[in-house]
Amino acid sequence: MTVESRSQAMAIAPQAMRARPRLAVMASIIGGLLALFAMAWDLQLAPGSLFSGLDKLALFGAAAIPPSDGGQLPRILKALGETFAMAFAGTCLAAVAALPLGVLGAKTVISQPVVHFAFRRLLDWFRGVPALVWALILVSAFGLGPFGGVVALALADVPSLAKLFSEAIENCDSKPMEGVRSAGASPLSELRYGLAPQVAPVMASQCLYFLEGNFRNAAVLGIVGAGGIGFELEERIRIFAFDEALFIIALYMICVAGLDTLSQKLRARLA
Amino acid sequence: MSHPDSAVVAFEALRRTTLSRQRGQALIGLLVFSAILLVSFQRSQFFSSDIGGDPMGRVADFLDRMVPNLRSDALLADRGTEGSLAWWFYDLPLWLRLGWQTVEMAILATVLGTVGALAASFLCARNLMPFAPVRFVVRRGLEALRTLPELILALILVAAFGVGPLAGVITLAISTMGGLGKLFSEINEEIDPRQLEALTAAGAGPVSRIRYGVIPQVLPNYASYALIRLEGNLAGAAALGIVGAGGIGLELQRAITYTEFDTYLAILLLIVGMIFLIDIGSEALRHRLIGLGADK
Repeated sequence: MTVESRSQAMAIAPQAMRARPRLAVMASIIGGLLALFAMAWDLQLAPGSLFSGLDKLALFGAAAIPPSDGGQLPRILKALGETFAMAFAGTCLAAVAALPLGVLGAKTVISQPVVHFAFRRLLDWFRGVPALVWALILVSAFGLGPFGGVVALALADVPSLAKLFSEAIENCDSKPMEGVRSAGASPLSELRYGLAPQVAPVMASQCLYFLEGNFRNAAVLGIVGAGGIGFELEERIRIFAFDEALFIIALYMICVAGLDTLSQKLRARLA
Repeated sequence: MSHPDSAVVAFEALRRTTLSRQRGQALIGLLVFSAILLVSFQRSQFFSSDIGGDPMGRVADFLDRMVPNLRSDALLADRGTEGSLAWWFYDLPLWLRLGWQTVEMAILATVLGTVGALAASFLCARNLMPFAPVRFVVRRGLEALRTLPELILALILVAAFGVGPLAGVITLAISTMGGLGKLFSEINEEIDPRQLEALTAAGAGPVSRIRYGVIPQVLPNYASYALIRLEGNLAGAAALGIVGAGGIGLELQRAITYTEFDTYLAILLLIVGMIFLIDIGSEALRHRLIGLGADK
């Protein structure tokens, strides 16, 4: 077919030319749906169990209203405080540990490419281990209680924070440091007046962000025995006390929203 | 007479007051921070909790028990030989089967959650949903879904749907919907309005406006976010097994309960490897999608 006749054909029958890709799109959509159904089949996701589960869920919902504190409000508040304490302590420990690692991970500090690459990959590998997995290990090593939770949260955050810290250091402008150095300052004051004012707000803001995340994670850690509100909640779900569970969940969600708002405000001031 | 010195004096005074105010603020901030930190360490019993004598020794002991006693001469021997790789990964077929189940759970949940997020995102995008109360309700609903931790949702759903992957898929789908719904609606709000205006001018209805005015602009971004979420959901699905919601997490929990710490490490290595593979695959896909999006 020559170029002219081809363009003529296009002009005459554009639909016919477009039919082929549309067919391919349809085929891939149908193929994808079939694959999804095969997966659902493989997981034995039966509609029957879905509907009976929904029925049960409706029963749970009915049992949960009205929510009640079960006369244990002080205990619940204490557990909530413990969860926040775990999150705060874990975030602080993680930040302290991540700072030297972040400095070492910055390309501007260690420019040797092989070392830099190996270090980053190592951090990546540890980043794949979630706090829950650490908590499982630590609770079985240190026994039930919030201690394992704090360490688990810190361990899970260190690699991510170190990576973000080293990126903050890499991204900062070298000119203020050069300026301080040219004024005859010592290396320490170079860091204090040239580097710190640039990276400290970024790092503080990242720590606040991780604190928000840790408050959520800390609630979950209670489920594997690391104390706090998750432990109280799991107890009540296990004995089907859904009115008390709903009370705890609602209180917890309000606290999460409050902490998020506060931390967003602080972060906006830092930025 | 206004002296040049007086300007210097005024500047110095201003500088002193500014500095002392800043120092005061920093001091107050530091005090508040230390107070919270102290109370936190006290409340979380970080220093006071009874973790037994010689904690470092116990961690070392624990790590020692996690590392299997592999023998170099028997490394490739069969399952029955102590010290071989097959002996370490003694239940590999089952773990691979459960690992694949975990992948399936993550994929199904991501697809279902993405569909839900799509619907929600059109309902709460400022430029597509003119009716403000609907936007408000959908937004707050998505926010609530994001706040609820996955594992707590899973606990409730396992109680309702029974132990098995169904509860896990629903849990992950719900939290995916919460997370992606917000991101999608943000993408929707950043689209070029001119194409929508053209469609409105041509008399298109709301569905055709979305199909021809929005979808072509946002599809690459949607897909890219959904793939990132798939990576997260895989880790999530692995963790959900711990509360009985199907997948490989169940074996992880079992290994800890039976104090088979070397088995724990083996399964953990499998999970991390699985996440690593999915990460690479989805990153390649995402880069292609973004590349395609840029070409248009």
